[in-house]
Amino acid sequence: MNKLTPSDLEKMHKASKASSDGPKDWIKVGMSSCGIAAGAEDVFNFFIEEVKKRNLQIEIKKCGCAGACYAEPLVEVSVSGLPPVVYGAVNKEVATKILEKHVISKMLVNDCIFEVLG
Amino acid sequence: MYTKVILVKDTDLKREDKTREFYTHLLDYLRGSNLHAQIQVVRVADIGVYDEGLVLKILPDKIVYCNVQDSDIKRIVDSTLDQGKVIGDLVFKPKAKQHRIVLRNCGKINPESIEEYIACGGYLGLKKVLGELGQQKLIEEIKISGIRGRGGAGYPTWMKWNFAREVESAEKFVICNADEGDPGAYMDRSVLEGDPHSVIEGLIIAAFAIGASKGYFYIRAEYPLAVERINKALKQAYDYGLLGQNILGSSFNLNLEIRLGAGAFVCGEETALISSIEGKRGTPHPRPPYPSVKGLWGKPTVINNVETLANIPAIVSNGGKWFAQIGTLTSKGTKVFAVTGKVKNSGLVEIAMGATLREIVMDICGGTLSGKPIKAVQTGGPSGGVIPEALLDTPVDYENLQKLGSIMGSGGMIVMDEDDCMVDIPKFYLGFCVEESCGKCAPCRIGGFQMLVYLNKISEGKGKLEDLEQMRRLAQAMQKASLCGLGQTASNPVVSTLRYFETEYNEHILNKHCPAAKCNSLVTYTIMGDKCKRCGLCVTNCPVQAISGDKEKGYLIAPEKCVKCGRCVDVCKFKAISKK
Amino acid sequence: MTKIVKAKINGILLRVEAGTTILEAAKRVQIKIPTLCKHPDLPPSASCGICIVKNKGSHKMLRSCCTPLEEGMDITTHDPEIVEIRRTVIELILSNHPNDCLKCARNNECELQKLTADFGIKEESFPQFLRDLPIDRSTKAVDLDPKKCILCGRCVHVCQELQDVWALSFLERGMKTRISPAGDIQLADSPCVRCGQCSAHCPTGAFVEQDHTASAWKALQDPDKYCVVQIAPAVRVSIGEAFGYTGKNFTKKLYALLRRLGFDAVFDTSFAADVTIMEEASEFEERLLHGKSPLPLITTCCPSWVDFMEKFYPDMIEHFSSCKSPHEILGVLSKTYYAEKNKIDPAKIYMVSIMPCTAKKYEITRNDEMFASGHQDIDTVLCTRELARMIRQAGIDFDSLPDEECDSILGEYAGAGVIFGATGGVMEAALRTAHYFITGKELKNVAFENVRGLKGVKETEVIIEGKKLKIAIAHGLSNVEYILKKVREAKKNGLEMPYHFIEVMACPGGCVGGGGQPYMVTDELRIKRAQALYEDDDHKQVRSSHQNPYIKRLYQEFLGKPLGEKSEKLLHTRYKARPIYAK
Repeated sequence: MNKLTPSDLEKMHKASKASSDGPKDWIKVGMSSCGIAAGAEDVFNFFIEEVKKRNLQIEIKKCGCAGACYAEPLVEVSVSGLPPVVYGAVNKEVATKILEKHVISKMLVNDCIFEVLG
Repeated sequence: MYTKVILVKDTDLKREDKTREFYTHLLDYLRGSNLHAQIQVVRVADIGVYDEGLVLKILPDKIVYCNVQDSDIKRIVDSTLDQGKVIGDLVFKPKAKQHRIVLRNCGKINPESIEEYIACGGYLGLKKVLGELGQQKLIEEIKISGIRGRGGAGYPTWMKWNFAREVESAEKFVICNADEGDPGAYMDRSVLEGDPHSVIEGLIIAAFAIGASKGYFYIRAEYPLAVERINKALKQAYDYGLLGQNILGSSFNLNLEIRLGAGAFVCGEETALISSIEGKRGTPHPRPPYPSVKGLWGKPTVINNVETLANIPAIVSNGGKWFAQIGTLTSKGTKVFAVTGKVKNSGLVEIAMGATLREIVMDICGGTLSGKPIKAVQTGGPSGGVIPEALLDTPVDYENLQKLGSIMGSGGMIVMDEDDCMVDIPKFYLGFCVEESCGKCAPCRIGGFQMLVYLNKISEGKGKLEDLEQMRRLAQAMQKASLCGLGQTASNPVVSTLRYFETEYNEHILNKHCPAAKCNSLVTYTIMGDKCKRCGLCVTNCPVQAISGDKEKGYLIAPEKCVKCGRCVDVCKFKAISKK
Repeated sequence: MTKIVKAKINGILLRVEAGTTILEAAKRVQIKIPTLCKHPDLPPSASCGICIVKNKGSHKMLRSCCTPLEEGMDITTHDPEIVEIRRTVIELILSNHPNDCLKCARNNECELQKLTADFGIKEESFPQFLRDLPIDRSTKAVDLDPKKCILCGRCVHVCQELQDVWALSFLERGMKTRISPAGDIQLADSPCVRCGQCSAHCPTGAFVEQDHTASAWKALQDPDKYCVVQIAPAVRVSIGEAFGYTGKNFTKKLYALLRRLGFDAVFDTSFAADVTIMEEASEFEERLLHGKSPLPLITTCCPSWVDFMEKFYPDMIEHFSSCKSPHEILGVLSKTYYAEKNKIDPAKIYMVSIMPCTAKKYEITRNDEMFASGHQDIDTVLCTRELARMIRQAGIDFDSLPDEECDSILGEYAGAGVIFGATGGVMEAALRTAHYFITGKELKNVAFENVRGLKGVKETEVIIEGKKLKIAIAHGLSNVEYILKKVREAKKNGLEMPYHFIEVMACPGGCVGGGGQPYMVTDELRIKRAQALYEDDDHKQVRSSHQNPYIKRLYQEFLGKPLGEKSEKLLHTRYKARPIYAK
């Protein structure tokens, strides 16, 4: 790989910032030790499989722990037209609801949101 | 398509949960106003506000109303939702807010992607350091920021760097201390796992500051995921030329490697850590010479904690002044705490220094899970002390916590309610230190052990009042005569509980009674005849057949057989078994 | 120029060189800060926490043994709080110690016992906890009783740093911490070379020489035994320390004393050292002039060194002198030559060696060649500390003992024989005789100043008949590596050897600093002991071994010639590579 120069770094910063700020839909699963211990890996794999199966246009991403360890696995969902929210204590059941209600029907899921991160 | 979302949650713990009821009322009103197609109402599991009655959060406006009544529905819908006006008397005024510097990217970016880190401004600090700042100005900037070591002792970071920079040596080292070992503390693990590049960038900047060309991550082996993520991140940084020769095209070279700690708590102490990296037994050594002058392999070495390093890129990017605005007079910036114990929301909290303990525990973490009153908060792990509820309004900074007989420590914060015994708690912490003492120095090795013997005696109801004096005497010897921080502070949990909860010790000693019903030897389990419905569940569940009787006469627990496992209390559906 | 710092200790203003510890600085103004783990011979290990002092303005206390006095410090060394904490720490140590002083080998000589007495501690204020760990008696030389260990770390330091043996290390942690060979094996199975430096530095009775005084007493009482004793060079200049004298040579008092203890014949190992020189100088001559075996020649008087080499540098065996150590030579000569001449049944001879050394206890049964007389050549080895105990037990007033001469024919020694006790001494003695063997001429000046002194590695050149001989001397096993790596390197690359002749003594200072010598040794003391030996040499009429008339007689009457058939049989030995620890 090419070694970066200071201006490369600047360019890369701008380019990747623009792409990550874009309108793309995504689901982010907290995959630190606390999340994994609470079952995040299963949830993550479930999303990948289901999205493929249902042919949904949404990206499944990983992230670290956001701090609310008591509510792991945490899943943040950002879908155009809805404010991004974080679901806590997500299991396959909640994950299904997220896909069916939130992602497909564009409605937030009751009783699962942890609005704790400001 | 909805244009707005209303999140609702009843946060009043003293009554039946009214969330559903309110949700229905609100929904009905919206239907009546024909707004139900534009506004979605959602019940949430946690709304991030506690003990403020019914709480509403309107998105995307982020308006939060609290202590909302059914009667407020009309004006909320009419003025706020319809006309966009904020209703002043309902607005929730947050007492405490998290302030995220260290955790700025945690939970946001993919820790395995350097691109995402760069997208968030990553490595721009390093670019600034190499390009415009240079060594001297960098250290000046860190000095202005006022940041102090986050590992516990709070030594000014710039001074460490400056000492090491001033020593002439062909070889210097930087080490990231990621040997986080306090029970209940995992801030560093989270940062390493969630934002590894911020720590790497911090370490590169530290290396540049002192002129080091080699550095180590000393990570405990019990953190395999952190090791894996740092490993990946290091590889990415090498690939991008952010490590290795001529970093970002400059003349600065640095190589970083991982060293695994074998799980000894004392290896978090910097001289012991150095011994461990050198392949020797991890025991502390006298200072001076300080590592900044004579450290790893006898060369000037700067050792910084993970959290300190994660702050560095932010300080460099935003300037020392920016950082110095946050926090208190002597303690700048933020601190990450791992709040655990009897708390509702256990997890990581990053607050500006100066926030009070009460704000952290009550407002951010939602108080106790049980709803019972808080008895005390323990900070600083085994080196810290307990702070009683009455003092929770103390603003958190290095000096204040020390005045209270605790320490900032690395950031473990354990919340205790009335079910926690103040003889049992120090027993746990001291037991930890006794186990983890490297064994080198007599006051720590034997003093801690003897003190634990007294604590055990007291918790078994065999203590005497003189034992408290002996414990104080031991504490003084350990504090003053131990070589390293472990021994010097190991008695803190005991000393602070003696300071604030001596009556509880006396209760154990004089009345052979544990008020929290925690010390097993002093606890008796009794079946309360009036509450017992004679279902017999306790009998079948008792593992030692200590419960006898029948449906006619009722049941009795034989104290000589009972092993106080608590199984009967757990299974009893009628709360008929008392534990006193 | 060294920087000077100004500071106060107990209100006394003083100036010391920067880097001076508070402990040292306090001594200069007549203040004695109590210590336990600190040994004057070793760097501070900072493990006991007794030497704490206060610095004005700081709530922390400082360990005076390892904290340098800094400009402007205002130190208090004694106040009620400090004394109370020290007392608590001592009481803590006692709570983890058997406190069976009456039955302890170190009774009356124990540093912990003394400190306890100084602090007037009369009762145990904390409950006692002892680890149930067995005593390791496997080495036949030094015993380790882990129960008595206070974990000061002195032995670990001497074993690892001074001696580079690494037989000892700290195991486990917390209250389970203990000193042991790594892997929890017995000392005899470890790299231990039985140098006994651990026992010489131990503050308590955790490491003690195996006491063989009982066997000696038993033999002395046995009317059927003919008891013969020999004293090593280094013993004469250190035994006085047990009775309050330093740096004095008590050779003749010792002869008198040993007779009063009941020995039938009193000999001197220095005589055997002269024999060693005859053999070793001949070996050197052989190798140098006839190239039978390779150079450099390496001395083998020190059994710890032999053990070390067999384990760590087995590739050096061909360089080793095959000559036995002097006391073994005296043992075999007593049970052959002396026995024949005096018509004594060698089976009845009981031979005791008084040595500065613990390794000699093991050496006497090292291999079959230690039975060259047909019997065990040496029956018992007692070290200097054991002799001191025997003197007290026998009720002999050491101070007023008269001077006596030793017995013929294995006693009279040349000056060369007695300097064996100091590092460089064997080399110097060998050079005196080698010069004669090679050139046929006597030296005008027999003193080789360059080989004396306490420098860890001494390298020098000597010219014999125009030929430049390169020699090296090491003492303290950690200094060996430097020399042997060079030899190894030269061998590997087929280069010219860096040395012709090498002397190694395991203990720092040579035998005067031996592991069986009186406690509290320092370099100052090592120099004093060595000095007393050099004075003995200076005053001798006969300075070189080959001039000793008794040596000449021995070869005429009994041995024939050096390296002759009889010499080879009785005075030489072989070595065995045991490369498990090879460096």
